[in-house]
Amino acid sequence: MRADLEEAKDERLAALAAGGDRGAFEALVTRHRQAVYRLCWSATGNAADADDAAQETFVRVYRSLPSYDPERPFGPWLRKIAWNCGLTVRRDGNAGVPKVAEGDAPEAVDPAPGPEEAAAGNEERRRMEDALAALPAELRMVMVLRAVEGLSYAEIAQAAGIPAGTVMSRLSRARTRLLTALGGGS
Amino acid sequence: MMDCRETQALLNAFHDGELPAAERARVEEHLRGCPECGALLADLARVDRAGGVPDPGPAYWDRFNARVMDRVGREADGPGVRVLRPKGGWMREQLRYLVPAAAAAALVLGIVHYGGMTPGVPAPVLTEERAAGVPREERDRLADRTPPARNEEATRERAAAAPTVAAPSPAPMMPYRSAPAGSPPVTAADGMRREMQAERKAMEGAPAMKREPQAAGMEKSASGMRMAKEPAEGAAPPPASLASAAAASASPCDLARTLAERERIRDAETAQRACLAGDLDAPSREKGLVFLAELLDRQARFSEADAVIAEVEKQYPPSRPLELYLQQRPMVQKEPEAVPVSR
Repeated sequence: MRADLEEAKDERLAALAAGGDRGAFEALVTRHRQAVYRLCWSATGNAADADDAAQETFVRVYRSLPSYDPERPFGPWLRKIAWNCGLTVRRDGNAGVPKVAEGDAPEAVDPAPGPEEAAAGNEERRRMEDALAALPAELRMVMVLRAVEGLSYAEIAQAAGIPAGTVMSRLSRARTRLLTALGGGS
Repeated sequence: MMDCRETQALLNAFHDGELPAAERARVEEHLRGCPECGALLADLARVDRAGGVPDPGPAYWDRFNARVMDRVGREADGPGVRVLRPKGGWMREQLRYLVPAAAAAALVLGIVHYGGMTPGVPAPVLTEERAAGVPREERDRLADRTPPARNEEATRERAAAAPTVAAPSPAPMMPYRSAPAGSPPVTAADGMRREMQAERKAMEGAPAMKREPQAAGMEKSASGMRMAKEPAEGAAPPPASLASAAAASASPCDLARTLAERERIRDAETAQRACLAGDLDAPSREKGLVFLAELLDRQARFSEADAVIAEVEKQYPPSRPLELYLQQRPMVQKEPEAVPVSR
């Protein structure tokens, strides 16, 4: 990545990308791809759909850049698109969003456990993944945005289009269910 | 001092650092004397630590950017979907052309179809518009041709044949294509050539095709294709990418989705109305009406959308699709172009 892009703020990169700078756009992709993927996974609950939705998110971001206002923060704007793409893929089942610009094979997501999977404590992680996948998307979303992305209630509320109080109650329900699934709880 | 019930009600917010200082202090005070609530707090931390979203692994991330950039590149290079845009307000600028262009497209197709334009004269429309007019046997043939190698072959055959046939046509809809100011004018033939190049590139780069043959959709097409006008006999065969798009749009319902994806909202609305006029089961009609409401919102025809929404509320209470859409609606109404089309 170009050094000047590495340091630049999202909003600056978005403005450059809107002007046709592909390097700036790719810098945004690199910076946000994991968070976008996780949010899409929250919406869909499985890797294949999350992949579809994450790819589609960035294509739509690219298309929508000309209407993006760099005065507004980039993160919430991106999250809204990602969440919508995730819901779209989920609602549609595997028929999927990418109908227009196809040509991409669905990316194989490596099902084999990585070396770190062997480590102790990963059994809990795996159970947690299953439990999270089994949650309703709305609970999963708040959980991922809070516990993984570290967003505030206000930021989650904005991304989900719900009041902050609802964020708290959903988080509470999500954690209770996950704890039960983890086979613990006091 | 707070009791356990009060404390536990605030425990999530406490754990997340979202409590105001005064309440925070009260919770802390309770926790100092209550191991039970302390254990609950530890559980919250344990759940969060367990993480949750499975990471797809380094090999996945190695390919991720290239796949995005490939799709973005195809969008920007090939005129099939869109060309490079000038900065700022592009979409609003486009809409000024898009709506009249769509109307013109409908008119031209109408003349070709109903007005008896001489057979053998290619329809003076753009490739996208032509996609809707693939002869049925051609669509059927293409629907069977999903393996990439055969598709590529088909693309080459068309690459050789198409430009000569399409070249004489004027391109009345260029404003929709809208090259940025200052670029050289693009003819329909140029457009097709570039599109086919992009398509071939895409085929070569794609290890496998994701697309389904859509066989079931093709069955329905006999009754459902009234939306897509038949072209004049002898019109140029369309490039494979667009033919397959048409194959995917075998019913007006699918066509509406495809058009909406391409942000041809007005055309999508027409197709969606045709879809709703057909014989639909209740869930499809319910979703179809919600989609129609969205298409109206995207054209800022809010009161018409309201009427459709009222109808859904009346006929299908409680409607989950409507509920989902109403969550997004403020965003759609605020910036119709920035929000992805829901499906």
